[in-house]
Amino acid sequence: MRRLATALTLAGALLWTSTALAEVEQASLHASFSPDRLGASTTIAFGFHLQTTAGLAPPPLQSVVLHMPAGLNYTLTTLGLSICQPAVLQARGPAGCPPNSRVGSGSAIVEVPFGTGSGHEIPEIQAVVGPSHDGNMVVLFYANGQTPVFAQLVFQGEVLPDSGLFGSQLATDVPLISSVPNGPDVSIVEVKSTIGPAGLTYYRHVHGRLAPFKPLGVGVPERCPKGGFPFTASFAFEDGSNASTSTTVPCPPPVHRARRG
Amino acid sequence: MRILESSVRNSRRGLRRATIASAGLAAAIAASGLTVAVTSATAFSATAPKARQARTIALNDTGRLHETGHHGFRLDEQGTATGTIKGSIYIHLNITSTNHVTAEVSIYPSNGSLTGQGSASYRSEGGQATFSGTLSISRGTGSYAGAHASALRFSGTIQRSNDATTVHVSGNLST
Repeated sequence: MRRLATALTLAGALLWTSTALAEVEQASLHASFSPDRLGASTTIAFGFHLQTTAGLAPPPLQSVVLHMPAGLNYTLTTLGLSICQPAVLQARGPAGCPPNSRVGSGSAIVEVPFGTGSGHEIPEIQAVVGPSHDGNMVVLFYANGQTPVFAQLVFQGEVLPDSGLFGSQLATDVPLISSVPNGPDVSIVEVKSTIGPAGLTYYRHVHGRLAPFKPLGVGVPERCPKGGFPFTASFAFEDGSNASTSTTVPCPPPVHRARRG
Repeated sequence: MRILESSVRNSRRGLRRATIASAGLAAAIAASGLTVAVTSATAFSATAPKARQARTIALNDTGRLHETGHHGFRLDEQGTATGTIKGSIYIHLNITSTNHVTAEVSIYPSNGSLTGQGSASYRSEGGQATFSGTLSISRGTGSYAGAHASALRFSGTIQRSNDATTVHVSGNLST
């Protein structure tokens, strides 16, 4: 009898453990530079995918911190020559923001609790520069959800200094997104975005006329650490769980010293 | 090359300074074109030409500079300083992180030079970046030989579209 009780206790413990493990969130991260040349003005592309170990949608995401490699050069970038006020972005969308405040774009896939499990794409995410916070650059992300969740969301990322292998981090708070009024929150399964001049056109006054130009992006570090440029993302979820993942951008092949621009 | 020229210039000015000193402190002050507050004085007479006058200069200068080059995290800037000390001004600005800059500042008035190192917080807001911190003067030549100062107020703005920079330096400089 005592042996049976012990066995049941063990079985229960194993069951609990396996259930808990099944709920552990898994994250994967992708990052790239384009162009990928040492010292070059570049567009940083990043994307992450979230799921449980059982392959289900994760709990609603509360925050994501993207740690970016040391040596990224912010000296010459002309990204974000104008700023967009969050209230304007919320009310009028990116069209209400100055063109010179745009810094990137992307898309996302969300899962609603009552969905089919295949995810629903939010095809439009725009990134603009907002008013700085405590002296730190702020990136505002605008997500234009149409179906199954009709919502235009603004969430804020702050570029902060980092340490060690990382020179800066983009710390973003993600608002909870209700699937329906008073309903459960939506899970974010995948996000892809860029920060950089790719696809952007800025304008400046030249002899009294507006002239288009391509802004300069953040500079790829001039030296590549052994193993490549490290990126790490850490995630916090509504249920208190966390996940993190890392990737590297391989060192570009050696070429003649690149010039900015 | 600039350093070499500066050395030659300064050695000439050193001779001139001795002459000026023998003519009297008031004339030296007038020649320097500076607002000078004398805080302590050594014995000064024609028979003691090597005696040095310790003085404190209340600096309040503005420099307007344009970019002349860049390398890595460094912006090289050149322009004109106006205020207490007038002359050419050169700044190497190192934007070392997303919110911090260091700077090497050199000013070349007609009667010497001053060189200092600055450290400042940095913030970028739209088309303009600003910095604010302190500057230490570590070296002087000519009329500013032996110049030193710490914690001078050091601030400025950078127009991000073309990296034109305005810089303000104020505080007390000892020579």
